[in-house]
Amino acid sequence: MFKRTSPFIYDVKNRMKICGILCLIAPVAIGLRLFYMQTFLHDKFTTKAERAIYNYLAEDRLRGKILDVNGNFLAQSVRTHSCGISKRYVKDKNKTISFLSQTLGIPKQRILEKWNRNRNFFFVAKKIKPDVYMEIVPTLRTPLGQGLDLTPEYERIHPYGNTALDLLGAANSKNFGLSGLEQMYNRELSQDISKKRAKRARRGEIIYDRNLKEHLSVGDVYLTIDLQAQFFAEDALKKAVEEYGAEHGIALVQEPSTGRILAAASYPVKDGQSLAFQFTYEPGSTFKTIAISSALDAGTVTVTDAIDMDGRKWEVARGFTIRDNQHDKDFLSIPEIMQLSSNIGAGKIATELGAKNLFYYLKAYGFGTKTDINFNGEAKGYVPPYNKWTKVDLATKGYGYGISLTPIQLINAYSAIANGGTLMQPHLVDRIEYADGRVEKKAKPVKIRRVIKPQTAQIMTKVLQSVVEAGSGKRAQIKGYTVAGKTGTAEKLSKEGGYGKRSHIVSFCGFVPASKPQFTVLVVLDNPSKYTFGGTAAAPAFKQIAENLLTLKGIAPDQVDFIN
Amino acid sequence: MKIFAVLFFISVFAMGVVVMRMEINRSGREISRLQNQVEVKEARNQYLQLEIARLESPANVSALAREKLGLEFTKPHQVVVLED
Repeated sequence: MFKRTSPFIYDVKNRMKICGILCLIAPVAIGLRLFYMQTFLHDKFTTKAERAIYNYLAEDRLRGKILDVNGNFLAQSVRTHSCGISKRYVKDKNKTISFLSQTLGIPKQRILEKWNRNRNFFFVAKKIKPDVYMEIVPTLRTPLGQGLDLTPEYERIHPYGNTALDLLGAANSKNFGLSGLEQMYNRELSQDISKKRAKRARRGEIIYDRNLKEHLSVGDVYLTIDLQAQFFAEDALKKAVEEYGAEHGIALVQEPSTGRILAAASYPVKDGQSLAFQFTYEPGSTFKTIAISSALDAGTVTVTDAIDMDGRKWEVARGFTIRDNQHDKDFLSIPEIMQLSSNIGAGKIATELGAKNLFYYLKAYGFGTKTDINFNGEAKGYVPPYNKWTKVDLATKGYGYGISLTPIQLINAYSAIANGGTLMQPHLVDRIEYADGRVEKKAKPVKIRRVIKPQTAQIMTKVLQSVVEAGSGKRAQIKGYTVAGKTGTAEKLSKEGGYGKRSHIVSFCGFVPASKPQFTVLVVLDNPSKYTFGGTAAAPAFKQIAENLLTLKGIAPDQVDFIN
Repeated sequence: MKIFAVLFFISVFAMGVVVMRMEINRSGREISRLQNQVEVKEARNQYLQLEIARLESPANVSALAREKLGLEFTKPHQVVVLED
């Protein structure tokens, strides 16, 4: 093409230029390509690079523990995993299924049944324990593990089985509280961990970065519940419910001086549904304590007064007569009214006190108002306004009909008598301890108000003591200890209207030792299948709970004439 | 010669940076692996603690004491309380 004689090609400068241009072609082409990539394909490559370098850690929710007052775990979240299969990524179906069947202990047939359904993804097992998880993890990067997926989730574990489950409630596998205290204290118990960008290595492992660590503020909730006391209450309640064929049962234990709830049992147990706070009923004779203590405090009667029994048939108003069939006395003193559980006596005392005064005391004792114990669905009961009460309403309220209350309200009122007349704020949560060291004290003793004078409380305690020593509550006697309490047997409203003899509620509420009360205990049995009484069915359960508590806490006998 | 020396030092420095970055990544991976192991061990430990709690529960202990040893709950009057 070029002639040897051509000066252009033999000119060294020209040759240098050609070489230079040839050398520049590649860098210019690369440069142009880079320019094109940087300008027009920027987004595509950035995403690709991000995917190669970074991994997004899944959002997570941590959850604190729920413990009893002594630090025993009642509910705790444990991190587990679910194992799933994406069918389209599985290399060798038979080998993978055999491996999973062997590792997870699930029959091959069951896995195959799931496999044969139309979905591409399905879960083989949930809540895999850590040991099994450790066996599966190494296979994930081998052909055997292709298509397997381990998704983190949580299991809320209750090491004591059903103990206090009605209080605790439930939390799901995403660590979210669904019922009971789990729901009530969800904000304090749980913490959301935000989605974070973490650097990952070639094989997908996350590269540690200290900035990824989140500040923990999750809290552990300590209840006022004592595990041992709760067990005693549940054990005695279960026995009583089963023995008398009751529909439900409730047992509550309270510390009268502080208002702390030591045990709150319902039977049968339904998680997150505590009958101790949600159940309302007409209390019957256990309420005589409230009406009579109110009258004693107001001074409308004295403990030595003899009440005329009107021949054990008292016509309150035309067409409404109260009868006492359990005794044949013409006059009864207040201790006798309580011992014999006289409806006439209690009705007359309530009438003497008057509607306005009785209403004032009922409100002062906390009836018809929520106790604010902080439990979801707490009922407030019902006390109708006194200006709507008839003469009959007033008399029947004296022995616990025509009003409805919750077990927590009744035990709190008895605790007020036990502690000398002060209504205390009941507590279920003792404290919340946060991960950052903060402690939020919840169960400081709070006096709501003085309901009755200390002298009245003292007299009432003696009266209640006489019920256990010589009255309907004899089966609640504990050797070596003074016990104060009252039985209750109330007929329930029937669906047809009026009170049915077949449907009733039996209860016993009292405190021990009467000389220096440490525990107030209430036992309620709803609708026992056998006709029974508070003194027969509920008092023995009270005795069992109280005896065990006295032993557990090492409380010395207070009966002076007690010989060991 | 000076340029050569400068280039040499820059190269050595760059190599050092690369080696350091690689080492950081390697340690990071190792820490993550260990953290993962710690998490699994912690979960395992939690299960064991909960198993201990279950075995120590009043319901379990009292049932075993009753069935295997024929024991009963002590009555409160059988307890002698020693005052300080």
